[in-house]
Amino acid sequence: MKLLRIAIPLILLLCAGLLFGDVPVREEQFIYSILAFNGKDYAGTFARKDADTIYLVADVDNFITVRNVFVYFWPITQEWKTDTSALNIPFQGTMELYGKQDQPESIGMTPYTYYNIRGEYELNWKVAKEQEAEAAWQDYQGLMDAYWQSVSKYYEQRAAYEAMLNQLTVTITKMRDEGKDVTALIDGLKELKAPPEPQYPTKYIVPPVPVQKAFILNLPVGEYRIRFLTEEGKIMEGSERRIVVFKKRRAEAIGLEVIPGDKWTRPVESKTPASVLYIDGSTDLYVRPFYQQEYNDLFYEKMRKNDAKGNPTLMKWVRIQQVPKARVEISRPSAETQMVMEEPFYVEQVKGAALGYQIVPFDPEGKHKDREPSLLAFHVPISNDERVVRLRSQDKDGEYLPSSERQIRIITPTRLGLISLILAILPLVVMIIVMARRSRRYTS
Amino acid sequence: MNQRAHATTVLARRRIFETLISPGYYVAQTIGLVLAYFLVAGFVRSIDSSGFDYQLYPAYELIGRSLVGAFGATFVDKLFSEGPFLFTLYVAFLPVLLYLAVSSVFRFGLEKKVGALELLTYGPADGTSYFLSGLIKDILATAIYLVVLLVFLLVAGVLNNLVLGPSFYYSLIILFFLSITIYAYGIFASCLTDNSASAIAVFLGLILFFIIILMGSFTIVSGYVRNLASVFAWIIKWISPLFYWDFALGFVEVGNWGMFFVGIVLLLVLSAVVLFISHLTIKARGVRS
Repeated sequence: MKLLRIAIPLILLLCAGLLFGDVPVREEQFIYSILAFNGKDYAGTFARKDADTIYLVADVDNFITVRNVFVYFWPITQEWKTDTSALNIPFQGTMELYGKQDQPESIGMTPYTYYNIRGEYELNWKVAKEQEAEAAWQDYQGLMDAYWQSVSKYYEQRAAYEAMLNQLTVTITKMRDEGKDVTALIDGLKELKAPPEPQYPTKYIVPPVPVQKAFILNLPVGEYRIRFLTEEGKIMEGSERRIVVFKKRRAEAIGLEVIPGDKWTRPVESKTPASVLYIDGSTDLYVRPFYQQEYNDLFYEKMRKNDAKGNPTLMKWVRIQQVPKARVEISRPSAETQMVMEEPFYVEQVKGAALGYQIVPFDPEGKHKDREPSLLAFHVPISNDERVVRLRSQDKDGEYLPSSERQIRIITPTRLGLISLILAILPLVVMIIVMARRSRRYTS
Repeated sequence: MNQRAHATTVLARRRIFETLISPGYYVAQTIGLVLAYFLVAGFVRSIDSSGFDYQLYPAYELIGRSLVGAFGATFVDKLFSEGPFLFTLYVAFLPVLLYLAVSSVFRFGLEKKVGALELLTYGPADGTSYFLSGLIKDILATAIYLVVLLVFLLVAGVLNNLVLGPSFYYSLIILFFLSITIYAYGIFASCLTDNSASAIAVFLGLILFFIIILMGSFTIVSGYVRNLASVFAWIIKWISPLFYWDFALGFVEVGNWGMFFVGIVLLLVLSAVVLFISHLTIKARGVRS
């Protein structure tokens, strides 16, 4: 009985632990909400109370708003997060920007929107401000309204078509039963065409966001300080931050995305010509050359996510966009140079119980009909018999792209490695020989 | 001056001979080469269809995780982008560098303490020629080991179908000059102190200090610690051999070979300055502790 009296509260305590798991402590904080351009895309982050510095890329529009939200630390991903569902109070006012000048520059909030227009290149980001923003938003709204109207019209036409189809079918059946000639009606049925389905507007890859107000910072490289002033002209406590504006160091190199045929979810990137891709040669490779830019590791990571870590003394290459209409030259020691073109491929799940994928040529007329290709890439066949495969990329005009040379080395298991172990202990052998000779010399 | 040069040559020849007949140098070389073997073999085992993945081999996983934790993923990507040899070079070089530097410091301190150095100075040699002979011995032993290591890694590369990338060769060159400056600091520590233990303590303390300062600005730590390290680094960097090593390799990355050689010259200048200060110190303090 006594045991039961101890056990029950213990079990209840354990259950309480399960039921009421750790809830992160949320704290109301004044934050800077940042929508920064990272060289290829706009990505959002925020600078919480303890984040003293905001990082931005130079000479591009970056959008900053200020607000009070709940901030909490999420230990699973080791990240700071905001809970805007419970508290999200944006502030209106002005921002004071201190640069090299003695007097601060006062920046007001500007209505803006941003969008990405479909084109040959993936980088077609546009920023529209003031009236232009409204016009861009209206244009998008007009486009969507027109689309929805055509959808509505399509459904009406479709309903009429189906009604007509139904009526004709019923009439033909009835007339056939009565033994009448239905040839004219069947001809009419054959001529009856379903209305075409309206196409979703493809003008935008990323459509404009609804017009909103923010402080737009487009600054040259340097260090700045900012603080926020309310509409009453009072300085908001804890709003002072340092702004580090940086730019790319280099942009002339070509990177290579390499997708192994059996692990298409695990592509690797080869960033410099000196980098060598060592593989086991068990599967073919699919490669995609891309333009890249080099940034300071710490600055770039912090710009993407203000609480991220980075290495301030290192520069990193960042993928910007795929090289359009490129060609890849494949050289093998035992074969002639081969030029491969970009081809569509489809990723299929491996048949059977085993997990895995395989990349197969896209067959738009056959088994992949009405589907989109999973990837556009250059196929590089790999064989275990080869030791090295060299790649070099060309642009659409057939010019070699700078720093696009790469080598792939196929590593196969070998026992020859043991020879190097024998070599490694050679100094010991030399030592034994030297000592033995000296010992013999002095003992004889 | 000629007398000092002659004494230095004679002493250096003697010390090189002593190094070659004693087991320590060979043992240090073997340790370095065996470490290199395991690192290359581990790299080969960490390769699958998508390339090098340190998580595939337990020893490499430990190394990879530690390096990512301390220096970030970009650092590890760069370290292994050309293959295993850059990392292997530094790891395999360390035992011999430590052996040569510490043994020279220890011997200097010991010979000063027991009066052997004083005995030498009754002849044509002086304190400066003594430490210069040690330096020549260390430089030659380092050069021999770097050649041995290069040959070993070339063979390992051929056997495993791996290549030694440009970063490896630049690091190999700069390591040679870096080691000269480190030996110079060893001499300086010996001149400054009275016995082997304190000389080794001062020498290791100095090197550790330089490493910490460099790592502090290099490591991915939060703002305050990094800022503090950066301030310290800015003050200390001018006397740190590691700064010039980092400086030279930084220019290699952007293809500025001229500045790489400037880095080498600066390392030599720093070595000369440290040796000159050592010369003044031993002149002022004498050769007997």
